[in-house]
Amino acid sequence: MNNSYKVNTYILRFLVYILLFVLLTVTLVPIWLLIVNATRSTTEIQQGISIFPSTHMFENYRLLLSKGLNLPRGFANSLFLAVSSTVVTVYFSLLTAYGVVVYNFPGKKIFSNFIIVLVMIPMQLSIIGFYRFMSKIGLTDNYAALILPLIANAGAVFFGKQYLEGMVIQDLIDAARIDGASELAIFHQVMLPLAVPGAATMGIFAFVASWNNFFNPFILISSIGKYTLPMLVQTLRGDVYRTEYGAIYLGLALSIVPIIIIYAIFSRYIISGIALGAVKE
Amino acid sequence: MNLAKFKKIPTGYLFLMPFIIGFLAFGLYPVVNTIALSFTDTTLMSKSSHFVGIDNFKRLFADVVFMRAVGNTWLIWILNFIPQIGIALLLSVLFTNARLKIKGIGIWRAVFFLPNLLMPAAVAALFNALFAYYGPVNQFMVRAGFLSDAMRYLESVGVTRGLVVFIQWWTWFGQTLIIVMAGMTSIPVQLYEAAMVDGANAWQMFRRITLPLLKPILIFVFVTSLVGGMQMFDIPFLLTDGRGSPASSIQTNNILMYMKFASSKGHIGAASSVGVLVFIMTSICALGIFYFLRDRDEIDVKPSKKLLSKKNTERTQS
Repeated sequence: MNNSYKVNTYILRFLVYILLFVLLTVTLVPIWLLIVNATRSTTEIQQGISIFPSTHMFENYRLLLSKGLNLPRGFANSLFLAVSSTVVTVYFSLLTAYGVVVYNFPGKKIFSNFIIVLVMIPMQLSIIGFYRFMSKIGLTDNYAALILPLIANAGAVFFGKQYLEGMVIQDLIDAARIDGASELAIFHQVMLPLAVPGAATMGIFAFVASWNNFFNPFILISSIGKYTLPMLVQTLRGDVYRTEYGAIYLGLALSIVPIIIIYAIFSRYIISGIALGAVKE
Repeated sequence: MNLAKFKKIPTGYLFLMPFIIGFLAFGLYPVVNTIALSFTDTTLMSKSSHFVGIDNFKRLFADVVFMRAVGNTWLIWILNFIPQIGIALLLSVLFTNARLKIKGIGIWRAVFFLPNLLMPAAVAALFNALFAYYGPVNQFMVRAGFLSDAMRYLESVGVTRGLVVFIQWWTWFGQTLIIVMAGMTSIPVQLYEAAMVDGANAWQMFRRITLPLLKPILIFVFVTSLVGGMQMFDIPFLLTDGRGSPASSIQTNNILMYMKFASSKGHIGAASSVGVLVFIMTSICALGIFYFLRDRDEIDVKPSKKLLSKKNTERTQS
């Protein structure tokens, strides 16, 4: 290679790193400001921007709770809802995906295509009909209305199908059949233990989706005791906290920090999971 | 007797049963119900409701507010999608470039993806606080001398729309990057080597190898982004007053539907008709793009597809 080619490569690489640092700054500054301001007092926040945390976090927390906002309750509600949603999504989506991948039956291809079509249909727009249906069977203001629909979660089934197709399990299934295991027992005892990495990835996505979901609970849940975190966050913008900036930032930070921690631990699963859900079409 | 009958059903169906029942009850029925409601004047309060034919739809088509909401939604989606796919393509090319050898690709990608996991409700409230009159952005702009006076950002149509576009872009470019890059790395290296032997330059390789082979992935990104974009709610709803202010400039389809639903009388018939129209518009666009582009693609690579499907059947048989 000649010298000018090498020099050009260095310059190009330098420009690329500049671009990456700009994008990094844009990505992280809002999050960093949020976390820093959650630890600063309202007076400090009004005095100017800082990139260093302060010491007023507990003060802010007391202020946050003093105005009647039951954040721990919202936290517990969101956690309960997210865990239930995760269990239902992972179990039923793997069950469905297993049925499609392992068995042959008339209409198998149609069903697979139907799943893809469902992923591309904006189901949220039928929320009014859903609300009406739930109120008729008495499930409004009930978490069941948020959990039960996840039995038929097309996106998760699609992911499960992609994941199971990449696993060679037919021999193990045949072996279990020879041992006299029932088909459902094979699913529970042979497949589920093997699919733990895929189930974990699917579970993380289901958890985050439920944790962050605002629209559906906002429409369906009405009693304050059942409010989830995103619904409480929404009340932070109201008149009650108008000038208590530190408390507002802390409330917002507390609702996103758990997800950042989960991401710090499981980021590899999450990133490989996104690629798996899309590639191969 | 009953058990024998039960055993005749292919086992695959039994595994699909919960999904099918769940879909019929919580997926299909609400859609049918929404469509049925859209032809009535039902309100949340009233006991009785009447069939009004297509009155709701006629009213919507004549309604500036509805047209504006549809226009807003498209505008915000397109303005965030173009830079989103642009940055994703650019970074994917740079990350997979053998000459540049960029370090720490995994870390860059992981950081760029982070905003996608953050609660949109909290993100909207955060930007509301950052861009408040007494907020940090004004402090910075005035002290650094970019502005002589503090500005009311969230009362400006341009700034507010720009912010929604920015937040959407910020949330999604990392995910699009991961998907596009996974597609790029699955393209066989031999194709590029052969092109290099033939004397192709970087742009020619991108245009003639990368883009065509990336098409299924790009369609996937395009369609899923469109479907998500047409249902946009949390960010524009919570960034300002929940009515799409200022001047209804960030009032999206879903916000309008919610406003009709939550109005003092609870016009759920009218709200349903908004849902139905947007549902039809989005589904036609999404499925249309998917099938139109995919079919042409399948003709192009027919031989290799056949080979692939042959391989697949071999695998399932073994």
